[in-house]
Amino acid sequence: MLEDTIIAISTPVGYGGIGIVRLSGEKSLPISKKIFKPKKKNTKIQALRPILGNLYHFEQKFFFEEAYLIYFPKPSTYTREDIVEISCHGSPVTLEEVVRLGKKAGARMATPGEFTFRAYLRGRIDILQAEAINDFIQASSFKQAKISFNQIEGRLSQKMAYFRGQIIQLLSQIEASIEFPEENLRLSIKRISKTIERIIGSIKRLIESYDLGKTFAEGIALAITGRANVGKSTLFNSLLERERAITSHYPGTTRDYLKESIKIKDSIFTLIDMAGINKPVHPADKEAIKKGGELAAHADGLLLLFDSSRKESPEDFRLINKFKDKKILFLFNKIDLPQKINKNKVKKEGKNHPHLEISALKGTNLDKLKGMIYELFIPDHKQGEEVILHLRQKLLLEEILENLLEGESLLKEGYSEEVYAEEIRKTLPLIGQLTGEIRADDIIEEIFSRFCVGK
Amino acid sequence: MRSAEEYDVMVIGAGHAGCEAAYVTSSLGFDTCLITIHLETIAQMSCNPAIGGLAKGHLVREIDSLGGIMGLLADETGIHFRLLNRSRGGAVQAPRAQSDKALYRLTMKNWLEKVPKLTLFQGIVTEILVKNSRVYGIMTLDGNRFLARTVILTPGTFLNGLIHIGLHSYSAGRANEPASLELSENLKKLGLKMFRLKTGTPMRLHKDTIDWQHFIPQPGDKKPVSFSFRTQKKLKNKIMCHIGYTNPKTHEIINKNLYKSPLYGGKITGIGPRYCPSIEDKVVKFPHHQRHQFFLEPEGLETAEIYVNGISSSLPLDVQRKILKSIPGLDQAKILRPAYGIEYDAVVPTQLYPTLETKKIQNLYLAGQINGTSGYEEAAAQGLMAGINTALKLKKKKPLILRRDEAYIGVLIDDLISKGVEEPYRLFTSRAEYRLGLRIDNADKRLTKYGYKLGLINEKDYESYEKKRERIKKVTIFLENEKIKTENKERISLKDFLKKPEVRYKNVLEYKKFKIRLTDEEVRHIESEVKYEGYLRKQEKEVARIKKIDREKIPGNIYFKEIPGLTREVIEKLEKIRPKTIREAKNIPGLTPAAIVNLHIYLNIHKKGKSKP
Repeated sequence: MLEDTIIAISTPVGYGGIGIVRLSGEKSLPISKKIFKPKKKNTKIQALRPILGNLYHFEQKFFFEEAYLIYFPKPSTYTREDIVEISCHGSPVTLEEVVRLGKKAGARMATPGEFTFRAYLRGRIDILQAEAINDFIQASSFKQAKISFNQIEGRLSQKMAYFRGQIIQLLSQIEASIEFPEENLRLSIKRISKTIERIIGSIKRLIESYDLGKTFAEGIALAITGRANVGKSTLFNSLLERERAITSHYPGTTRDYLKESIKIKDSIFTLIDMAGINKPVHPADKEAIKKGGELAAHADGLLLLFDSSRKESPEDFRLINKFKDKKILFLFNKIDLPQKINKNKVKKEGKNHPHLEISALKGTNLDKLKGMIYELFIPDHKQGEEVILHLRQKLLLEEILENLLEGESLLKEGYSEEVYAEEIRKTLPLIGQLTGEIRADDIIEEIFSRFCVGK
Repeated sequence: MRSAEEYDVMVIGAGHAGCEAAYVTSSLGFDTCLITIHLETIAQMSCNPAIGGLAKGHLVREIDSLGGIMGLLADETGIHFRLLNRSRGGAVQAPRAQSDKALYRLTMKNWLEKVPKLTLFQGIVTEILVKNSRVYGIMTLDGNRFLARTVILTPGTFLNGLIHIGLHSYSAGRANEPASLELSENLKKLGLKMFRLKTGTPMRLHKDTIDWQHFIPQPGDKKPVSFSFRTQKKLKNKIMCHIGYTNPKTHEIINKNLYKSPLYGGKITGIGPRYCPSIEDKVVKFPHHQRHQFFLEPEGLETAEIYVNGISSSLPLDVQRKILKSIPGLDQAKILRPAYGIEYDAVVPTQLYPTLETKKIQNLYLAGQINGTSGYEEAAAQGLMAGINTALKLKKKKPLILRRDEAYIGVLIDDLISKGVEEPYRLFTSRAEYRLGLRIDNADKRLTKYGYKLGLINEKDYESYEKKRERIKKVTIFLENEKIKTENKERISLKDFLKKPEVRYKNVLEYKKFKIRLTDEEVRHIESEVKYEGYLRKQEKEVARIKKIDREKIPGNIYFKEIPGLTREVIEKLEKIRPKTIREAKNIPGLTPAAIVNLHIYLNIHKKGKSKP
């Protein structure tokens, strides 16, 4: 399987100016030579020089499309194997034919991500970089692409390597005092505690950045909520700029919830329109309402709508209190109609959450709304700061954090060194899964380079 | 009828490894000959006049539980006893005892002389006789031949030993004892890969020339803890140790004279242990330290020799004298034996099976410093296992291979044969993944059953072991069932109460007295079992899980070259070592997790029969 020469279209699906078919593996060049012939008959295919020629249909024996071929000989290639890239016009039909012919000539269709997988297997990139490249390709927003690129450059690996070193150092201190009890190496609980806390701090920050990263990868979830008939579905449709929800003047028309993505500037948001949260009238309402409540609880933020053409109701206040701990934007809808709501009362109840007056129907202030949403939910992301984009990484870091926190509490409760050292040692294989294994020899190495011990 | 010079087992070298090995094979009924250069130096402690310490003390307990003799001997000849890390948990506590060196070796010789099937012999071995890759005997320097079915080689630092004092060097296996030159050549010819190591030993001083008031006394424990579970007598401290420090003046002298050191002057090629650094190593590597600690340890009751633990050196004698002069209290001290460094040949231990038999030559076992270890205890443990496995093989039974979660002996041997050695290997508790379960208080629980089954632990001792287990079981049940109300109005079992870090067994007794009285040793055991319980359970699960993965077999006809993503270095290692399971592969040094992943993936892909291996 891994010995096969693989082939795939490297440019995205659809019509474009250029399309590239890429081959990787031992037989890349011989296979390419079957489907590509240089313009000048006896031109030798040299490495790294684009060669002009034509695609050749070896089954039906005719030339079609003009194309360029570039040969990248191993090992200084992406996958460390021989790579050939054939560039031609981006017609999907042509590209697919090239791939088909390539398969006929002995190549195998690459599985998704297989080029990157080979790069990883051949040690060209480590696992973090592999995941990052995958994200980069799938980047659905520019911001995410920027973050992925930083990761590709290995900066995240660097940060991981840094606190890997910290943990080795910490462990070596503890182990040295255990192994050499007669050498006065005992560290005060205070000092060990401080060191652990520092490492915990770094990891917590890294984990927090996951939430940031997650928003870039999956889009920030915003739930549109409010009591029945307040204009949620209208707002939903207006933001989407096309009709998705059923709007009507009768309370309780949205029975299910709806989910759609919109793009504001360079970021993706997922809008969720829930059933009007009201007392259930219809049996189907109950389920929809319950589901809506769950979604709201898990959303990253809420757009809470009020009907400013009616007086504020207990239901409005109930909602304000229900969601008081979430990130929320108060929207006074229907400002095109005569205003009856006491805005100040509502604002006060909401402890001055950001707010805006809009008309979903008329489109008033919708652009301003989009701007506010962006400001509120896209935190100021400093250039170059590490962001973890993967649940896998976050889960591993959380596990490491758990062990360190456990270690710290054992330390504070007065347990002997070998007990909390045990907790800290548990992080070693986990760090290994993130980046590079730590072995007993590493700790011993550290002990002897830092401490003058031994008789 | 067998000829007088034909044995079942030939043990070469009567150091700590050789003595254990010879004791075991002869006790298990095999005619054994223990041959050594000088009968006077049987079980000679070359360096430190002490047994035990962290991890080493653990080894001695394990040796004892299996039926070996180091523990009994250390108790018999000990003159100063300390339990290290008393203030910490049971897993990192370890016994250490200063021994009367002369008494130690005389007692060992005495004991060995009394073992029926054991013959002691004085001779210098020059050749191991091998035919068709199988040993059949040995040759000595005076032209005599001994036939043997198996050979256990334990030559310590004697193989091509070269002593360095300053820039002078001369051939010796240990100070002024002849080195073993021919044997090393012989091993190389037999195809064993060798390498060179170095170690050192400090000077010995005359106790009457030391001004003792300058040094801090370190008394032994009030209630000495024995090494052996079988020791009945009460142990007494008979001497005092003392602590001293070097000073900046000392360091200045050393720095000024570094060029006279064989290591820093480039004469020594062998790699030394970092944890037995010479004083010049310490000064060079840690120049900012204002002082370095050392211990003044008497070598025996009937001798004036004091061992200066912490000032090992290969600097010339005149510099050693200057060093002493710079330390108040030692300025008038007379040197009886100079400190020296020693280089010697060792065998690359990855050439051994877990039984310590060489892969290349059948029935040739290697144990002790020859395998690249340092320390008496590490040597004795290997000697014991080599002896046990030799006997088992002769009996055509399954070998005894201890796992890493079962004993430090398991960790030691596994590290040696899987990872190899780059500098003299010394055991540390941190080398054990399952440290909390490998304690001095439960060594018997883990290993006595093996010792008994083998026949090295007699009925009487096994009975008292079983009685101990009974007592502990009863007390444990009691602790689980009895509930108390603590000061904070909690209602918990005595066991949960004992789990708290600040609570000791004696506190438990304050609440409820129990009719069974436990010994101090048994109390320590129960405390550890209770306090570590959570961890021990988790470890058991982890052990089971890893065992499953590790057991995945690697087919013998695999072409490692075909596995993508492996560096040439890794492929070479895999081809050389040819691991049979994932576990074996994991332990090869230089095999990164990524390489193991690739190997694993490759195995699984080919298991599905997709392409030919």
